[in-house]
Amino acid sequence: MLQANYFDGRSTRVRVVNLSVAGEDLIIAGEDVNFRIPFVDVTVDERLGRAPRRLRLKDGTFCEVRDLEALDTLLSLTAHRDGWVDRMQRHVQFVLFSIFACALLAIAAYQWGLPWAAAKGAQVLPPAMGRTLSMRTLKVLDGSILLPSKIGEERRRTLSARFHALRLPEGGTPRSELLFRSSPQLGANAFTLPDGTIVALDDLLAVIGDDRQILAVLAHELGHAHGRHSLQLLLRSSAVGAFWALYVGDISSLLAAAPAAIVEASYSQDLERQADDYGAALLRHNGMSPALLADALEKLAAAHAEASKGGGYLSSHPATDARMRRLRHQAASFGDE
Amino acid sequence: MNSVSESESPAQGSSPRAPEQVHFSGNGAEYFGIWIVNLLLSIVTLGIYSAWAKVRRLQYFYRHTELAGSSFDFHGSPGKILIGRVIALAMLIAYNFSVRLHSPLTIVILVVIALVMPWLLRNSFRFRLYNTSWRGTRFHFRGAVGASYRVFLLNGFLTLITFYVMAPFMHQRLKAYQHGNSWLGRTQCSFHAGAGQFYLIYLLLLAAAVAFAFVIGASGIGGALATFAQVHKEGGHANPAAVFRALAILYGALILLGISIGPAFHALITNLVWNSTRVGEHRIECNMSPFALIWITASNFVLVLLTLGLFIPWAMVRLAKFQLESVRLLPAGDLQEFVAAEPESIGAVGEEAASAFDFDISL
Repeated sequence: MLQANYFDGRSTRVRVVNLSVAGEDLIIAGEDVNFRIPFVDVTVDERLGRAPRRLRLKDGTFCEVRDLEALDTLLSLTAHRDGWVDRMQRHVQFVLFSIFACALLAIAAYQWGLPWAAAKGAQVLPPAMGRTLSMRTLKVLDGSILLPSKIGEERRRTLSARFHALRLPEGGTPRSELLFRSSPQLGANAFTLPDGTIVALDDLLAVIGDDRQILAVLAHELGHAHGRHSLQLLLRSSAVGAFWALYVGDISSLLAAAPAAIVEASYSQDLERQADDYGAALLRHNGMSPALLADALEKLAAAHAEASKGGGYLSSHPATDARMRRLRHQAASFGDE
Repeated sequence: MNSVSESESPAQGSSPRAPEQVHFSGNGAEYFGIWIVNLLLSIVTLGIYSAWAKVRRLQYFYRHTELAGSSFDFHGSPGKILIGRVIALAMLIAYNFSVRLHSPLTIVILVVIALVMPWLLRNSFRFRLYNTSWRGTRFHFRGAVGASYRVFLLNGFLTLITFYVMAPFMHQRLKAYQHGNSWLGRTQCSFHAGAGQFYLIYLLLLAAAVAFAFVIGASGIGGALATFAQVHKEGGHANPAAVFRALAILYGALILLGISIGPAFHALITNLVWNSTRVGEHRIECNMSPFALIWITASNFVLVLLTLGLFIPWAMVRLAKFQLESVRLLPAGDLQEFVAAEPESIGAVGEEAASAFDFDISL
């Protein structure tokens, strides 16, 4: 015998009833209620903690049961079986397993899933979008930290000509535009916009000097353009931001914005390596040594050390020593130097 | 086990009865199992299960909430929520794309979103209320579509062009629309707070925000000045560490705001809104202490951070218990008299769109 509250679904009136099982049937008996129905026509709410459970009948009426142990005893007399999610939620080992599985899945998604999805996504996005983004970014930069280049017209034309004469490993010549600017804030730097436009800064040309080494740096930037790396970074940071908003959002949506910015900076290392590899391949394809890029990096590292803790090319291009070693190793196996 | 609370037994005309306190019996450890399994299944199914997870989460909280000896229930169907989420996601992507692109298309998309949003928010109220029941009787939202455009679009526009001077007025109109058009079965709710009462709380908020800005300004100004000095000295080369520190001050201030003035404002507004709402002739009393809510929000925040999120279920249960148990119903008569209305069919698009665009409609 099990006591429950019966509701007719048409009003908030409470009727106290007793529930019992006879054979295949459920018997509901109480003040002006007396039913006998096959148990197969009764839907039992799944267990949710200590919440009252309802036995729902097909006509929209139901019994609300608070004595969960007595209900379990009653259900054991019937063909009712708990759902699999219900069993998982109450199984201590499975809950512990879930914690580790969630953590592992999160790490895997961050480590491999996100870069993979961003790389795929960057290839799928329409080129027009990269174009619009670049024009906007350049407009903002030109109005703030970028100044017109002070490099002589002739030098720029020579560099441009040599840059556009480069043959790409995948065939053809660079479609990227090459722009010259100067910037006291950014120092010796070069960067690639989402549509592949490469911006070379005066200080970079001044610090490196040698045209072939400058071309090596531009080859590296072509690697960024080829892999659409700036779009990838954009997608990665958007995804991380969205995830945090969902996960932490319940408690404090304020935290949500912070990690995206922090993650973006630490993320670029694998992309730098990809760009180095592409640059090295491009240099070899044009009969030049990957060591040229390593030499350029060395000069930039020296200039960077001089300018103390300032920004510059290397702050956005981490682990320079490792990269130089890698490039020189590639050059050695290529057979020059 | 006594199934019916004592104040509930046979009706005696319409004489006032003892207040009915809302009880919440959820438990963090118990909810943890549900939460983590929800999370795992949502990840493994690439988010598809999240609709079922949402139903389980809401059912956990609704069914542990008890008034006059009977618990609430949530009836939303996971299928409808999933469809709503897919549409909401598409809208969110279109919106994010257009905002980043800054093309003429942006304006078109923004206008379209502005035009459908009031309708979606109204549907969101309808979905949530229709799928909430107490003692087998469902709630309903019967606000007109036209009124939703007045409340959200026209008042939103007025609020913007008056530099938020009209914000408390808009808030009052929103609550009057939301609560005044809510029904429990065939019993309509009513809303009795005037705009003046909202202005009073907003003025308090403004005063607190000014005081907060003053304190943060005084303590953060040293760091900010140091950063600027450094930028100056090193010929425009900002020290990353200094920039990071400046950012930390900024985020710190935002978080501090979110766990101090935010909850205090929430408590005051929630008290006002519920104290001014009646279900038929039955009054509601809400007495949430702003200081207690600050303490709960702040300590939850710290504990969630320290446990890398594992405390979230306890934090949610703790917050829900505090908020729900500060509400009492003051019955004017028999609570057995509510009569159900005709069944309806409502999609979940509105609710999911509203939550995707992060409209907090809970205040």
